[in-house]
Amino acid sequence: MFNFNGGAVGLGTSISPLGMYAGYLLMHSGNFWLAVCFLALSCVYFAISAAILCRYVINYSRTRHLR
Amino acid sequence: MSLSLETISHKKVISPASFIVPVRLSRSGFRYDDARVVVVIPTYAPAQVTKRLVSDILKWNPKAAVCVVDDSTPREHVRSAKIFKEFSGMRRVTLLRTPSNALKAGALNHALRHLEDSAERPDVIITADDDVVIAPTTIRNLVVELMSHEELGAACSQCAVYNKDANLLTRLQGLEYVGFNAIRLADEGFLRGPLVMHGMLTAFRAGALYEVGGFTEGHLIEDYEITTRLKERGWSVKSVQNAAAWTVVPESLYKFWRQRTRWSYGGVTVVVRARQFSTVFQDALGHIVFLSTIGMVLLLLLSRGTGVAPHAITNAIIALSFLQLGVWYVFQLWLMRSYKQKDLIDWLLRALLVPEFIYGFTMTFALLGSYAFFLFNMTVRAAVRSQRAFLIWLATVGTAFFNACGYTEGKWGTLAVVAKK
Repeated sequence: MFNFNGGAVGLGTSISPLGMYAGYLLMHSGNFWLAVCFLALSCVYFAISAAILCRYVINYSRTRHLR
Repeated sequence: MSLSLETISHKKVISPASFIVPVRLSRSGFRYDDARVVVVIPTYAPAQVTKRLVSDILKWNPKAAVCVVDDSTPREHVRSAKIFKEFSGMRRVTLLRTPSNALKAGALNHALRHLEDSAERPDVIITADDDVVIAPTTIRNLVVELMSHEELGAACSQCAVYNKDANLLTRLQGLEYVGFNAIRLADEGFLRGPLVMHGMLTAFRAGALYEVGGFTEGHLIEDYEITTRLKERGWSVKSVQNAAAWTVVPESLYKFWRQRTRWSYGGVTVVVRARQFSTVFQDALGHIVFLSTIGMVLLLLLSRGTGVAPHAITNAIIALSFLQLGVWYVFQLWLMRSYKQKDLIDWLLRALLVPEFIYGFTMTFALLGSYAFFLFNMTVRAAVRSQRAFLIWLATVGTAFFNACGYTEGKWGTLAVVAKK
């Protein structure tokens, strides 16, 4: 979500617009298998982001006493 | 540097469940006063901020020692000579000097060798940049957190920007650093902890540091590299939530770009050379997802299409992308709670989204350049082996081009900072 253009040192502002652009391209040119692959990739990316968010929330609550 | 052969008792099996629910480290009590702590500060042409750092450490940590490593600052540098003279007169401060400019990792190793030979070997070695500002409890909290968990090999501070009000670029970096702290917290307890124990301010268990053989000299980002080696040896790492520290970030676009190309290319080299995939997993996953997305978009642009992509799929892709962006945006707003130095301008920058988008795309270009530079370097090595004059000429031209774009393999570090000072 927030570190997916190079992991350690980037902001995650690159992938979402690319997904939107890919959706736009698919609407106009249409390629079934590429569309399926991109959907799968988007799902994986979203799942990874959700997992990161889960870990953050859990660790945040575990370390709340330190703030 | 000698390596310890002691059995690694802290090595635990990595649980796949920690991808969602991070592992909780076992905790035992630890008294700060029981630890022998040495703070190592490599410096080249130190400034007033270095003096302040040393004074603050001594003032707020009555038992801690400081080891300042002068990385061969020229003797004729008057301001530096004056500061070093002051350091040499301070109690609990050891002043070392490298035989020749060894860059940060070399200077740190110089101090490690000195400490290894000293009569009282420290329990905790803290490495700090010379432009760091700390709070009264920073060192204490770092040490207590590190030594309270026997699995931990290193613990790093939170990072914040000292000069964030200088201009728009420093404000954006300030906002970005909030995200860095967040991602480190998210990675705690997952695959032995966060990817990078940053060089700004990190406490190492001395035994772990000697066990991995110290820092790798000549590396572009030695902090990331040593974190992977600690994890390879079974040590976990974490960031300490109540250890605040501030650093000075680049104020000009040129210096900022140089720093980010170094981080970006250095990160790629660490991932490629990693001996255990788990030590760079998050980063590798980021690269894979990013390259896959770019690759697919290129394929879409190049392919003519059959016109049979169902609307349900294209709508789902767009909806997922919007959802991703929406969740990310809300989370970024929520993170502002933890940004203590924020003001109205920071809120505006974050809420507007566009400045951070532009900033993020700058990082993306730095990353794309790193991929290109990495492939180029592989090609250059092949060209040199082939001994063909034309290929070598092409490699020379390419190297000059990449250098002009800010990418280089060995000129980063202290020597590059000299110009700044």
